[in-house]
Amino acid sequence: MAGLERSRSTRPGLLNRLATFLGIKKKEAQILFVGLDNSGKSTLINFLKPDSYKRQEVVPTIGYSVEQFTAGRISFTVFDMSGQGKSRPLWEHYYRDAHAVVFVLDSTDRLRMEVAREELNNLLLHADVSTRKVPILFLANKMDCKDALGPIQVSVDMCLHEINLHSWHICATNAVTGEGVEEGILWLTEQIKHRL
Amino acid sequence: MATPVVSTDLQDSFTATSEQVENSPSKNITDASDFWINAYQDPVAGIKTSSSCMALEDLNGDGENKLIIADVGTTPFDMRLKVYKGTSLLANMQLINLPSGLCTFFVDTNEPMTPAIAVASGPYVYVYKNLRPYFKFTLPSLDINPTEAQYWKQAKEEKLELLSFREMLEELQATDTEIPLTSRSLKLLQCLPEELEVFFNMYKHSPLKRQTVITCIDTIKKTHNEEKAISCIVIGSEHREIFILDPEAFTALARVYLPSVPVLLYTTGVYEVDYKVYVSCRDGNIYLVKGGSKIAKICIQTGSHAVGIEKQGKNILVGAMDDSLSCYTSRGKKLWTIQLPSSITTMEAIEIKSKGIKGVILGLKSGEIRLYRDKLLVNKLMLPEFAIGMKFGRFGREDSTLVLITGSGKLSIKMLKRTANLETRIVGDTLKSITPGKLNLPKKTKLYTEQAIRERENSIPIFQTFHRDLELIKLYITREYAKAIGSRLAPISVTTENIKLSAQVQGLGPGFKLSVSVQNASNIAVTGLLITFIYNPTIYGMTINAIPIPFLVPSINYTYEATVECLSDTGVTEAIRVVITKDSVSIPLLTALITMPVSLGMLIV
Ligand SMILES: Nc1nc2c(ncn2[C@@H]2O[C@H](COP(=O)(O)OP(=O)(O)OP(=O)(O)O)[C@@H](O)[C@H]2O)c(=O)[nH]1
Ligand SMILES: [Mg+2]
Repeated sequence: MAGLERSRSTRPGLLNRLATFLGIKKKEAQILFVGLDNSGKSTLINFLKPDSYKRQEVVPTIGYSVEQFTAGRISFTVFDMSGQGKSRPLWEHYYRDAHAVVFVLDSTDRLRMEVAREELNNLLLHADVSTRKVPILFLANKMDCKDALGPIQVSVDMCLHEINLHSWHICATNAVTGEGVEEGILWLTEQIKHRL
Repeated sequence: MATPVVSTDLQDSFTATSEQVENSPSKNITDASDFWINAYQDPVAGIKTSSSCMALEDLNGDGENKLIIADVGTTPFDMRLKVYKGTSLLANMQLINLPSGLCTFFVDTNEPMTPAIAVASGPYVYVYKNLRPYFKFTLPSLDINPTEAQYWKQAKEEKLELLSFREMLEELQATDTEIPLTSRSLKLLQCLPEELEVFFNMYKHSPLKRQTVITCIDTIKKTHNEEKAISCIVIGSEHREIFILDPEAFTALARVYLPSVPVLLYTTGVYEVDYKVYVSCRDGNIYLVKGGSKIAKICIQTGSHAVGIEKQGKNILVGAMDDSLSCYTSRGKKLWTIQLPSSITTMEAIEIKSKGIKGVILGLKSGEIRLYRDKLLVNKLMLPEFAIGMKFGRFGREDSTLVLITGSGKLSIKMLKRTANLETRIVGDTLKSITPGKLNLPKKTKLYTEQAIRERENSIPIFQTFHRDLELIKLYITREYAKAIGSRLAPISVTTENIKLSAQVQGLGPGFKLSVSVQNASNIAVTGLLITFIYNPTIYGMTINAIPIPFLVPSINYTYEATVECLSDTGVTEAIRVVITKDSVSIPLLTALITMPVSLGMLIV
């Protein structure tokens, strides 16, 4: 399958810590990364990966790619979806099995904020999402850029306050340095722990 | 892996709660009018432009398309070249002349590959690279009317009074249409008498030039058809010429004259292989300039004026000023026409490669935006005011973006929803006045229709030719009649003496007998008539040359006889003329021609 990628790791990384938090053993947690192309999903996942598996350069994802980590005795499956227009119809096939969704936003791309909102709407209205509670983590990425919108502005533009079925959280991040990522992952951990 | 496997235990672990019903799936059905995402709006952008002055292109090679607009400006002399990166203005450069068109193209293959912008403005093409001026191409200047040049020279040398100079120019403009006046002279003619001197002194020292202006601009790939291949600029000018410019040397590779002023261009193909330039001209016709050909051939007669031309597959779509969208074959045959509810302000092609969709978007005067696939109306959108400029394509990182500039200078950016259904026709859209496509006609019917079409198209010349011939026949008849009457050749006289004459020849020859019967058809007796025979004396000989008729009683048939001897033995014949005259009147009353038979007797003997 195109873009399929597996990397196994025994080294403790941030996801490893997440597993410890969860206190779950021999379980699988699936996390779905979505967001428009160029928003920084792959860069984020690359940051989350254990050091030795980090890639030097992140290229635009084609189709999707799967990253699998074994942290302790827990296996994490992260689906890194391509955000390109033609690949977006793929996303919905992965909603059903996802324990959590990470929605990455390019906070410098004002032009496409409405497009991101449209995609979020499609996600929220999908039967596999609208019929159950899925924690959604919004990451207002590229916070280091000078023309970046703040997380509050992003949540207003994205009408996040209209989401009342699912629990959600937004934080500003820099996927390259990892700034702000930890806060988000910690929130996500809490959410999954509640639900599993 | 791509298709989710229904696993029961997972479903159990996410058992639906009562809140789920809130977002009912029925909302999933997208409204047909709701195809577009309103991505951005700037009501005070203050842009005045047209579709031909807009482009979407990745100028820096960063994967993000910029919006390039040559803005005419809302106030005079405020022409600008604007480049939008997303919602922010990346560049805002002053333009010296009014822009008439804009396009982006690659001038070289140097890395990093960045396209150049060409702005047509006045007689110049300004080329920008990396948002900096790169080259300026000037159209060659035209011949100046020698008389005009002389007037300017005399005025400069103060041999001419300014006011009379102006008058002479005026006169020249009215009489000599061969070479029009220079724009400077035209401007001078517009000056008020008090402004005249200032204007004249300002320009008198600079040399007189007559320059044409560029009316339209487009590009064509030079050697091969690839997205980032080098392109040539194609320009149309006010003096009815098409230029194809080399992208490196900026010299004219080809020049083609047109019968009218070009206003719109549509190019296809590759310059060095085979190319076609469709040129819509001010005479309402669309001409075709083909690679290797020095002449422009007429391709489509729109019967109106084209607002936009787009090629779709093999066919050509033309939006025209008579509020219609028509489809023609590449040979200029009309396939169908759609009548629109309002006039077209702008037209733009759309292509969504991922969905394999091609069509056109029309901006209408009523503020409506209509999306047609072939002749099917698939989407309608109502704007508060009409669009003056429109571009569809990739903007930023989003494909299928529609950039609109409206009448009041508003910039609005709409993106086609991924879920938009452009497959079905809008309900309620009736296809008005569609001419049927190609029918397989029998040969005779085809001949008949062709004939009918020809007659319809050429009705005036056909009638004129017919009328001329008819008049000629009438004239000929009248002339012959007049001649007959003039020489009294008719068998019945038309004067007061109404006399009938008939003559007969009897015999085999060489001796013949002529019997001439004369009848007075009136009821008064006629006196003093004389029958005279006129003949060629070398062929015939007669015993009596004249027979006097002293008195002719009405309605009695008199027969007179005369013998004729044929003198010639060669078998030649000649007619003998019988003339009836009255007393001293010099014009004969009647004339009869007697055709003589060949003298058989001579041959027998
Ligand atoms: N300055 C800055 N650049 C970032 C940040 N995150 C990602 N980028 C850059 O954005 C570009 C796109 O990042 P990707 O991770 O490929 O984006 P993606 O969401 O995976 O894109 P697709 O795979 O096409 O859907 C890369 O050049 C990254 O270096 C950030 O926080 N700050
Ligand atoms: Mg990616």
